[in-house]
Amino acid sequence: MGRSMTRTVEIRLRNSLSEIGAARDALDGLGNEFSMPMKPLMQLQIALDEVVSNVVKYSWQDGAEHEFLVRITVHPAGVDVEILDDGLAFDPLVAPAPSPPVPGQRPPPGGLGIHMAKKLLDDVKYERTGGRNHTTLCKRFDLGAAVGRSEK
Amino acid sequence: MNTSALTIGQTRAGDVCVVTLSGRIDSTNANEMMEQLTRLISSGEKSILVDFGAVLYLTSAAFRALLVATDEAERSAAKFVLCSVAGHVRELFEMGGLLEVFTIHNSRDEALKQLG
Repeated sequence: MGRSMTRTVEIRLRNSLSEIGAARDALDGLGNEFSMPMKPLMQLQIALDEVVSNVVKYSWQDGAEHEFLVRITVHPAGVDVEILDDGLAFDPLVAPAPSPPVPGQRPPPGGLGIHMAKKLLDDVKYERTGGRNHTTLCKRFDLGAAVGRSEK
Repeated sequence: MNTSALTIGQTRAGDVCVVTLSGRIDSTNANEMMEQLTRLISSGEKSILVDFGAVLYLTSAAFRALLVATDEAERSAAKFVLCSVAGHVRELFEMGGLLEVFTIHNSRDEALKQLG
């Protein structure tokens, strides 16, 4: 597989929950194009929704409109989704796991999303560079043949 | 995956209001589901069954909405139960540690028997 055998799509989103559908649809489009297997694609969709909704809800506290970037890269070994936002620093890798549920007692809403995202992905990377959060969600599955075909 | 929309259907089986969800429940539409469920509870429904048989996947936004609806139901002394939580949808409930938090029946028939 050559290094050129990747496909990247960038989506600019505003910090509103209704915007998240655009990222979801872009990932769906790539899923169809590359005939991605259903289960890892769904798991990636869930993780994307968790991380992007977290950015929308918590990255900016000034009530103003902000823009951030979602970059999806399909490569022979899977899909990487990068989320870049210039909001408050948030490292999902050090986010505490939600407390285990107590039988007969409902857990308080919230805190679950990042935990689920990490469990559904093969790798999560985070760095804070140039005042931006750069979070990468990695899902690994074999796409070699499909990526090769789309290059022809 | 071609269906991005969440469809919320509603039927009645005796005294039970059956809500059928299909598609995916994520942060873009979980509020819509929550509003519909809490509206049913506040309108006086005393038995609500939510069927997950046609749900593709759900995110933590859906779990939050279900937790809110469960609390509302409890306050209104209404029964709020789920059914047909299977396959990878069940795995997601498990991952969230939520299988024991909700009342979940294997099938719609079993749930209706219990509620009836």
